[in-house]
Parts: sequence; structure tokens; C-alpha cells
Amino acid sequence: MTPGWLLLIAGFGLGLGILSAGKLPRVWLVFTLVGAVAALAAAASMLATGVTWNWQPDFVIGGEKLHLQLDGLSAFFLILLSVLGGAGTLYSSEYWSDKSHPASAPSGRAWWNGLLLSMGFVLLCANGLHFLIVWEIFTVCAYFLISLERQRRAARAAGWLYLASSHVAMILLFAFFALLAARTGSWELGPMRERTELAPLFWLALVGFGIKAGIFPLHIWLPSAHANAPSHVSAIMSGMAIKMGIYGLVRFTGWLPTPDSAGWVVAALGVISAVLGVAFALGQHDLKRLLAYHSVENIGIILIGLGFAMIAASHGNAAWGQLALAGALLHVWNHGLFKALLFLGAGSVLHATGTREMSRLGGLWRAMPWTASLFALGATAIAGLPPLNGFVSEWLVYLGLFDAVSARGPAAFAAIFAAIALGLTGALALACFVKVCGVVFLGLPRSEIAEHVHECGWRMRLPMLGLGAACVTIGLAPILFWPALATALAAWQPELANVTLPAPLVTLGGFHLALAALVILAGLFLWRQVQHNGVSRAGTWDCGYAAPTARMQYTAGSFAGIITGWFDWILRPQRHAHLPNKIFPAQADFEEHTPETVLENVVEPAGSLVMRVSLAVRRLQHGRVQSYIFYLLLGLAALAILAVMGGTK
Amino acid sequence: MIVVLDIFLRLAAWLLLAPLLPGIINKVKAWVAGRRGPPVLQLYFDLAKLWRKSVVLSTAVSPAHVIGPAVAWVAIIAAALLLPVGPADASLSFRGDALLFVYLLALARFCIALAALDTGSAFEGMGVAREVSYAVLSEAAIITALLTLCVQSGSVSLATMLAPSAGAGAALLAAGLFGVLLAENCRVPFDDPNTHLELTMIHEVMVLDHSGPPLAAILHGASLKLLLFAVLLTEAVLPLGKLTLLQAVGALVASVLVVAVVSGLVESLLARLAFRRVPLLLTTAFLFCLFALLVAWKEGLP
Repeated sequence: MTPGWLLLIAGFGLGLGILSAGKLPRVWLVFTLVGAVAALAAAASMLATGVTWNWQPDFVIGGEKLHLQLDGLSAFFLILLSVLGGAGTLYSSEYWSDKSHPASAPSGRAWWNGLLLSMGFVLLCANGLHFLIVWEIFTVCAYFLISLERQRRAARAAGWLYLASSHVAMILLFAFFALLAARTGSWELGPMRERTELAPLFWLALVGFGIKAGIFPLHIWLPSAHANAPSHVSAIMSGMAIKMGIYGLVRFTGWLPTPDSAGWVVAALGVISAVLGVAFALGQHDLKRLLAYHSVENIGIILIGLGFAMIAASHGNAAWGQLALAGALLHVWNHGLFKALLFLGAGSVLHATGTREMSRLGGLWRAMPWTASLFALGATAIAGLPPLNGFVSEWLVYLGLFDAVSARGPAAFAAIFAAIALGLTGALALACFVKVCGVVFLGLPRSEIAEHVHECGWRMRLPMLGLGAACVTIGLAPILFWPALATALAAWQPELANVTLPAPLVTLGGFHLALAALVILAGLFLWRQVQHNGVSRAGTWDCGYAAPTARMQYTAGSFAGIITGWFDWILRPQRHAHLPNKIFPAQADFEEHTPETVLENVVEPAGSLVMRVSLAVRRLQHGRVQSYIFYLLLGLAALAILAVMGGTK
Repeated sequence: MIVVLDIFLRLAAWLLLAPLLPGIINKVKAWVAGRRGPPVLQLYFDLAKLWRKSVVLSTAVSPAHVIGPAVAWVAIIAAALLLPVGPADASLSFRGDALLFVYLLALARFCIALAALDTGSAFEGMGVAREVSYAVLSEAAIITALLTLCVQSGSVSLATMLAPSAGAGAALLAAGLFGVLLAENCRVPFDDPNTHLELTMIHEVMVLDHSGPPLAAILHGASLKLLLFAVLLTEAVLPLGKLTLLQAVGALVASVLVVAVVSGLVESLLARLAFRRVPLLLTTAFLFCLFALLVAWKEGLP
């Protein structure tokens, strides 16, 4: 079947899913899964054949002819969308079922399909006006999903913040597409790199798409939205919705000319997002908020790759640019996969315990072995460790940076800086995920709610297993995914068509395979030796203390304390301490909270300033007619003066 | 067949020689302090004994407590196979293996850290927190050192990067990498392998609840990691790739011995740093590597 027919099936599946979402959850599940599989098949067949699918019927919406296009880049993103969409669909059928959420589950299903459908159309639209329309639908669907649990104040606030920031982005994108249409005389989108006068429009796109992608410091909406949304929604938001911002940036840096400084700015924003994203993550005590900040970090890694690719493109398409972009694009997939896996795992924890507060959890592996091991797999992948997928993409970006350094080109010094920052980010992410896994899943339960938990059912487990398997597959056999990557690279800029394999992915894959096999063998070997020698059980060594309790375990806050201390200047943690003093100390307590610095110290003060100024201006409006007449007279007098002054010239 | 035999021989050499290094360091320390000290082969006896001993597991632990050390051990061995030995290339050499080397050591750290947190002990929590925090700085230093070698040789493969000498910046690079070696391998002044207070340890406290074969895997892995860093340091500084195999092996053995003796002397003559000063010293090591990078950059200019 051609991609067109498969996309039609996908559209019908998701559309019929919306119709059946209200009353027939099982029918909805089947339709939506069929839609996701069809979309996956369409994107995969496009990437396999490398033939762009175009569809321009005589069908007019809003005065513009419909034009859908599935090229390498949109197919590359569509694959991720359909995988995450399918996984989230199956997961939500248990996680957000009619039984547990009778009020919101039906509408949640409908908005979910709306979100998948609108994101799919964003990827397909090749007309600026239609792009804007489906982009707005996508934004609104995501808003309703984030605030699905409307009775919670935090969810309402998060949804509102998301909606407000998204519409700031929307205004900029309106300006971007409108100016583009005005200067080219058509809403049709396509490659127009030769028209250099369009380059300044890039800045509008950068901020517009950057807000959606959650680039630091435009990420203010992201932590609370990801934390308060239902977990399957957090997974698709973090895995796919913010990648739509990346899609916008990649698409329009490929199609349109960019200013000379664009690549440098994107790379610098990438470095800032990567390092500060993970620093903020370390300061969090809320499991899902922490994962949300890691999205900022990973978007940073993607932008480092994209930025250097743009620099390379403006310097004669150096080979290191291809490597960096290949790494960035592969990281789009990888981050989507392991972050969705982690959010679904966090959802299972939330489902079982009812809390996202890490300091109340602990020792969950006993009751939730599946969730714990799959979460640990995701954590290994996101920390960029071999032999999993996170390492493969970071390795490609690293190779691009190192090649840029040894080429001694104009970007060498920037590449040195970026490579060191990437190393820092990797080590910080490792620290953060040691903290998460250790505090949530290992040790002993820190409170009663962590004691009576249950493993999630198979409809929540299966999507996690699938995502985990995808992470392992990309890690062990990266070469299988190179053709898709090459097609996407060629779609970015035609000069990159037919790039040869720039890195020894086959060798790396072989090494990873051998490593994985050896790890399993060594694990079994050691396990057997332990069993053979005999095992006895005793309490953990407590230095002879007589009455240890589970609450004496190290907490998430103290674990991250050393590193968050280094980042105090930006994290600005708020601490409230009553320390024990006196000989017979009274009750003591300590509380630490890391605020969203940009939101609370920049955006909110600026917002309240605007409000104050507006209130002051509002005093002019009071309903006394005499004063209004006075205003009119003043206005007329001012006009008269202007006219007279103008007349004398 | 030759390849398999080659890998097997190298593997045997790495695995068998590694426990020698801590023995030498301890002998130097004993000699400076005027004691006789434990035999040089002490770690071999310890490992043999631990391998046969039964295991005491904490009631809190998950299977990760045993699997973690196994994964860490494999990761360090895999890193050893990537390291070239003088003119004889590594068993496996490809573009970008330098970064794989760094990340394999990170994988080992990740697994040991999780196995330690598994016990639910606050001591182990403290040790892990210190380990992963200080590793951030030493990772920055290692990446910078790799960048230096990359600027010098124009390659991202360890075999080519380590072949020539480090040129004018050699002393700077050696100082930086030696700092990283001490920090990553729990030596004074960063950490004291002989301390007796759990509150003040880093690496030792992480293995407090391990026993039997898993502890043997951890100890052997740690000694192998020390040897890896000593070899990396030597090869980064000396032009071993330009010598014949016999000369290179001789030079390598001699300089690894020098590194061991120097770290023994450092341990005998210096006191351990207060924890708040550790980041400063690591930052200094990072700066040494950074200056070496700048020197290498300047040197390569036409």
C-alpha cells in the first residue's frame, strides 16, 4: 500500500476513535491503535523507499488549497509520533480508565486522539496557513489534556501557564508565517534557500518554536505542565509535543535561509539548556518535575547538534555538521523513547502510591519489579551509557564536535566548549538518575504509602516493555536505523543527500552487542558463585546504632546537595530550617524547595509590573462624563497644536 | 583465530597484572612509614579468599546488589580492551572509541552507585553522593584531556591519539591526568582508602555492605581501573607508539611503576583534603588539562 492510503487509514482510525471515545472505550482502543500502526507503516514505507509523498487535491480550506507532504523529515518525526501515540493509548486504557476517572476519561480519550491527529497534520502540512491552524488545534488539545484533572488547582494553573506561553509562541509564529507569505506571495511552503532576504525571519521561528520546545529560558511552562498532566499525557508531551518545536526549527532551517549567527545562537542555547536543565533537575524532589527538567536538558543536546550542523552548513557543508545533525536527529527519537518510558514508569509509581514526592517513596522494587527494572533501563539510557540508545546519539554529537575541533575551522573553539559542556551534562545526568533510581526504587520504604503498593497491570506494562525494547534495539543495532536517518538528513538539505556512513556504527553496534552479552554472562556467573558459596541475611551496617529506621536513609535533597550547591546562583533554593541547638533540642525541621527561577524571578515580576501599570492607567476610566469631555478637549487641543506646528513648516 | 588469541592474551594480562598495583602502592607507603607492610601480592590472596567466601546480604537489598558489581566489572574490562599498548594497537580500535572508553567507566560508576544505594544506608548514600558529584568535575577534565589529544593527533581513536607524545603541554597534561587518577581511584588527597570512619569515606563506604564474590569483583575492578588510568596517563605523555614493541612495553612497565610509587609517596606525605576543598583540587586538574589543550592548539598553528 502507498503511504497515502496508509495515512488515510490512520486518519480514519483516529477520527473514528474520537467518535467512539465517549461510550465505547474498547472500540476506541482498537481504532486508535490501528491508526497508530497505519501511520507507523506509512512513515516507515516512505523512509524505506525514500520517495516523498505529495497530495494536492482541489480542496480549499480558508482560501488555500490543501497540500499534504510526507518527506524524509516528516516521516522521521511521524514514526516517533506513532510509536509514542500507540504506547500511550494502550497505557491510558488502564491508567486513566473509566473506572478510576469516570468524569474525565471519555473526554481525555477524545482530546488524546485530537492531539495525535493534529500533531500528525502539523508534520504533513506544506501550507503555512494550514500549518498554523493545525498547530493551534494541537496546542488546544494539549491544554485540555494537561488540565484533565481540573479539580486540582495545580493542574489548572499548569494548564493556564501552558496555554498562555503557547499563545505567545503562536503570535510569533503568526508573524513568521504571515511575513513569509507576504514576502513570497504565497502560503505554500517549500525549499527557498536562495532567497536570502528571508533570513531575518529565522529569529521569529526560533522564539516561537523555542517556547514549544522548552529551550532554556523559554521553558517556564514545561515543568509544571509535565508534572501535573496525567502520565501518558506527560509522556507524549515530553516525548513528542516538545519535539514539534524541534521539528519546526529543523524544517525551517532546512527550507529557509538563516542569518550567519543563527547556528551559533542555537548551539549556545543548546549548551545553556543542557547544563542548566540537568542542574534544575537535580534540585527537584517531585519525580515528574525532575523528569520534565531532563526534557530541557535533552532538548539542549539536540540543539547543540542542530546548531553545529547549521554552522557547518554555512561553512561549506563540513562533514562534522552531518555527524552533529545525525546525532541530534537520532537523539530526537531516543529522547522520545526513553523519556516516554520514564514518564510511564513514573505514572505507575504515581498510580500505585498516589504521590510524586520522592522523599516519601523507597524500596518499590519489591512490589513493582517490572516498573523498577524498566525504569532503571530508561535511566541508563537517558544517562547516555553504553550499550543503550542514549549513548549512540550522544556519541554521534560528540564525534561531530571532536571532528570540528580537529578540523581547526571557525567553529573549533565553540566545539571545545560544547564538548566539555556535553561531558558535564552527561555526568550530571548520571548523578541525577542514580538519585532517582536509588531513592524511589531501592532501599527501604520511607513512608507507609510506599509499603502497600502493587505492580501495574499488563496494559501499562506492555507499552513500557515495548519502549524499553526499542531503546535496547537502537543501542545494539544502530546501523539498522541509519537509512532512516540518512533519508531525514537528505530532506533537511539536499546537499546532504547520499551521505556515506560517517561513523563506524557497525563496529559500535557489534561492541555493544558483545558488551550486552558479556554483562549477562558475568551477571549469571557472579550470581551462580554467590548461590554456590551460600547466602545469609543480616541488617544493613548501621555503625552499631541500636534503632535505625527507614527515615534515616539518605534523602534526594541531601544526595544532590553537593551539586545543587554549585548551582545555587541560578537555582536559588528556598530553605527553611529550624536546626536543633540547645542541650535538649526541641523539635527541628528542614525544608528545601527549588523554585522555577526564570518564572518566579523574571516572568512573574515582569507580569506584575504590567498589571500595576495597567491598573494605574485604568484610573482614567471611571465613568464621569465631564472628565471624558475634558479628555476629548485635550485630545482636540493636542491635534490642533500638531496641525498648527505642522503647518508652520 | 589470531585476533581471538590476541584478545585473550591481553585480557589475561590486564586481569592478572591489575591487583599488583595497589600492592606496590601499599609497599611504598609502608616503606616511607618505616613498616614492613603487607606483601605486594596481598590483594591476590584477598581476592582468592573473597571468591570462595559465602555472602552476607542486607535484608534490604535487591538483585541489583549482586548484578551491579558484575556489570561494572565487565564495563571496566571492556574499557581495558579499548586501550592500546604502545605500538601494538588496542584489541579493538575504531573512530570514537575514546568516548566509549569514558562512558564505559561512567557505566561502571553508575552500577556501583546503584548497588550501594540498594542497601538503604545513609553512609552509603553519602559515599555515592560524593562519588557522583566529584565525578562531574573529573569527567570534564578527562573530556578536556581527550580534546587535547584530539587537537594534537587530529584523531578520535585512542590508538592514534595516544601514539605521539603530548608535546610541549606534556607536563600540564600529566599533572591534570594524575589529579584525575587520584580522584577516580580513591587515593589521598581526595579520599583515603585506609580511613576508619564511615562518615569521611567516598569509595570505601560504597562497598561497606558488599561481601564475598561481589566484593571481589568490585575490588578487582577498582585495581584494574587504577591500572587503566596509569597506562592512559603514561601513553598520553610518552610517545610509546613510536617505539618498538619491546621498548614500549619496557617503558610502559617502568612508568606505571613510577606512577604507583609517586601515588604511594603522595599518600604518605600528604594529608587528606577537607571535602569542601576537593572540588577546588579537581577544578585545578581540569584547568591543567585545559591549559594543555591551549598549548597543543598553539603548537599546531602554522
